Amino acid sequence: MAEVFLEAKGVSKTFVGVKALDNVDLTIGKGEIHCLIGENGSGKSTLIKVIGGVYRADSGSVKIEGRELHEHGMQTIETIRAGVQIIYQDLSLFPNLTVAENISINQMLESNQQTVNWKTIQESARKALDEIGEEIDLNERVENLSMAKKQIIAISRALTQNAKLIIMDEATSAITKEEVDHLFSIIMKLKERGISILFVSHKLSEVFEISENITILKDGKQIGVYPTSELDNDKLVYLMTGRELEYAPYIYNKKLAEETPLLSVEGLNKERQFHDINFNLQKGEILGITGLIGSGRTEVAQALFGLNKPDSGTIKMHGKAVDIKKPEDAINNGIALLPEERHGQGLFEEQSIGDNIVITILKSLLVKLGLLSQFKRKKAGDNWIEKLSIKTPTGDNPVNSLSGGNQQRVVLAKWLATEPDVFILDGPTIGIDIGSKHTIHEIIRDLAEKGMGIIMISDEIQEILDNCNRVLLMSNGRIIKEVEDSTTTTADELFDIVTRSYEEEAGA
Amino acid sequence: MNLKSLFKKNETYLLLIVIVFSIVITTINPVFMTWENMFDLLRSSSGTAVLAIGIFVVLLSGGIDVSCTAIAICGQYIAINVLIASGVDNIAVAFLISIGVGLALGAINAVFISIFNLPTLITTLGTSSLFHGALLEWFGTKAINVGNIPDSIKVFGKMNILTFTRPDGTQYGLSVFFLILVIIVVLTWFLLKYTMIGRGIYAIGGNREAAKRCGYNIRKIQFFTYMYAGLLAGVMGVMHLSLIRYSNPNYIVGSELSVIAAVVLGGTRISGGTGTITGTLIGVALITILEKNLVLIGLSSYWQQFFIGVIIILGVTITYAQNKINERKGLRAA
Ligand SMILES: Nc1ncnc2c1ncn2[C@@H]1O[C@H](COP(=O)(O)OP(=O)(O)OP(=O)(O)O)[C@@H](O)[C@H]1O
Ligand SMILES: [Mg+2]
Repeated sequence: MAEVFLEAKGVSKTFVGVKALDNVDLTIGKGEIHCLIGENGSGKSTLIKVIGGVYRADSGSVKIEGRELHEHGMQTIETIRAGVQIIYQDLSLFPNLTVAENISINQMLESNQQTVNWKTIQESARKALDEIGEEIDLNERVENLSMAKKQIIAISRALTQNAKLIIMDEATSAITKEEVDHLFSIIMKLKERGISILFVSHKLSEVFEISENITILKDGKQIGVYPTSELDNDKLVYLMTGRELEYAPYIYNKKLAEETPLLSVEGLNKERQFHDINFNLQKGEILGITGLIGSGRTEVAQALFGLNKPDSGTIKMHGKAVDIKKPEDAINNGIALLPEERHGQGLFEEQSIGDNIVITILKSLLVKLGLLSQFKRKKAGDNWIEKLSIKTPTGDNPVNSLSGGNQQRVVLAKWLATEPDVFILDGPTIGIDIGSKHTIHEIIRDLAEKGMGIIMISDEIQEILDNCNRVLLMSNGRIIKEVEDSTTTTADELFDIVTRSYEEEAGA
Repeated sequence: MNLKSLFKKNETYLLLIVIVFSIVITTINPVFMTWENMFDLLRSSSGTAVLAIGIFVVLLSGGIDVSCTAIAICGQYIAINVLIASGVDNIAVAFLISIGVGLALGAINAVFISIFNLPTLITTLGTSSLFHGALLEWFGTKAINVGNIPDSIKVFGKMNILTFTRPDGTQYGLSVFFLILVIIVVLTWFLLKYTMIGRGIYAIGGNREAAKRCGYNIRKIQFFTYMYAGLLAGVMGVMHLSLIRYSNPNYIVGSELSVIAAVVLGGTRISGGTGTITGTLIGVALITILEKNLVLIGLSSYWQQFFIGVIIILGVTITYAQNKINERKGLRAA
């Protein structure tokens, strides 16, 4: 291997009741693109925070270019000055500050200046955004931006520094394929300049595309370092999870269908978002909706859940038209939505995991006199923790002690607990590791088999094909194709249709 | 700045309220809209504004300081006692002592908040009682009358930077307090906008964990914030003294809620990270006009408390509603 840039040796870190890291080694060479992968809660973010000086390791050392870090207590600025820029999983942006300041802040701090030059801030922010080819209003406050834009800003911030190592902890989970491609081309350029990258993602296709070497973590232990060329998808999954995952297509049990469909959507319209949306959903179906970002699929989902008022059209549940103005109306009519953007959304971070799960079903836990049954509450919480294998020693721990992917599962559990008739899942497995993805898919199928109607929205055409019996393709706000039986088509075929129609529109 | 962004600002609406309010008062009492009355309002409210700016800075950093008023009275009462005991008759010395006390007490707040990591509300509630109790115990409870107040302080209270003569030959003018306020406003504005420590105050108010990860020295910023608030409280203590030419160790304490109300009314978010000095000043103006003029338009002074309550609730509701709207927007933007 080339010259070593960063070397972590024997790093261990225990939180109350959890051994997050157990004697982990990690070596990154100069100009190397290294991937760190492992299931949710395997310790990736913890290792990154130890390198960053956010957590102090119980034992072990981190050396950069041969010099040991954090010898005299942890200090984040020490890591930054050693040339390491980290994009943390939670992005660590300042919601109250402008885009420009968020991007430039690291640079200002690193140079140890005492005063602020607003012209430089604007200029370097503009330069950073130009470099990754994005246009975002520099004076907008970050709190008003979407998750994808926030990730772009966190990435730009890391790029403005003349860093020698850039660490990206799931920084690509919300951005489009195009943006990821562009980011990868930048990463390749950085590599030529001798800059190293540590990349964390649950999208294995990205990992295979970009990385040279892969370090695998499992339950806080490092279980191996492999050159990417020696691995393939199945092997990597096996190493990560200890299982082999297989998918059989979802076969819809037609007996579940009733004369009037569970949900019918008729002529739903909203200017500039979607047009003439018509479809039915039967009990027990898993209906997939896919299309590029901006195709209108998320907007339709939000309209069904009362977050986005359509201009015209009818929504019927069990054949009866329902009026859905706000999420409460949707919930009362048996519709639930797992939103696409759910980083911390709707979670009470400091409250216990169990309480967060049961919050949507408190009414059903009441016993005589309107009191809450503690026993029922705990049972319901524990039940979901087990079903979704949420990794925690006890459901009484606060949500913010969970790893990013495990927090996502809490959100999922919360909505599943309401036992809706129609469940809309917008990107159900974003940020969830491949093993748990499988588990979650099984839960979704199980729910459908018991008669729930499911609408699954996803970028990943493969995920849709694997799990849905019927598929709608959307582009530019319209349904452009319906595939009655998903076993009759392939991912490539659907991908072609989607991109072709997108290009046609763009050309027209 | 264009018109559209002007109408997005809280300050614009607040200013409109102040103007409408002033017009209403003027129709009832034409004296209100005279230079003389304006100068008088400025003179008597500059001290409150100085205190409000200190609280504003603390709120920005994501904390709260209810001990500012206790610090102000400590600074004032210690300064006047030292001046009388030593026989020094100099306003500058009074300011120095009071500011020194303010800095020291602010530092005590900072120790609890940044080193022991205690919640800011609880800490300052505690220190407020502690500072005031210690003052009464060690410096006594006796009020100091006009006769015993050193001349330099009384002269300072009457000093004007602009003087006008009325037709009958008597004079009125713009008080030196206004100058102090202007200096503090400019200084604070500069600190917040053009220094790294000022940006740090915004940063820790917006996302403290992120500020730490970026490499901000949180402890340093918190010490700065609470000591700066202490310093301003010290300044206010002496301004108040030379305004009323009387010192009672039980004064000022108890007015913190209406000062905080003024700041929040000015659009500063209780949760930290957002707010402007302009907003704070307009907030103080509104509360002052309210306090001074309710009686004038024939309402009992109990209404004042009532209105302050209404304003706080309205202010908080508006902030809350705006956040809700923004949240929804954020959910939709894709
Ligand atoms: N502050 C904390 N307090 C208690 N436990 C924690 C804390 N931070 C992490 N953990 C635990 O440490 C383990 C490792 O978490 P970590 O965040 O490193 O996982 P990860 O590999 O990044 O997972 P993901 O893919 O979900 O982001 C988890 O079991 C988590 O619950
Ligand atoms: Mg993580």
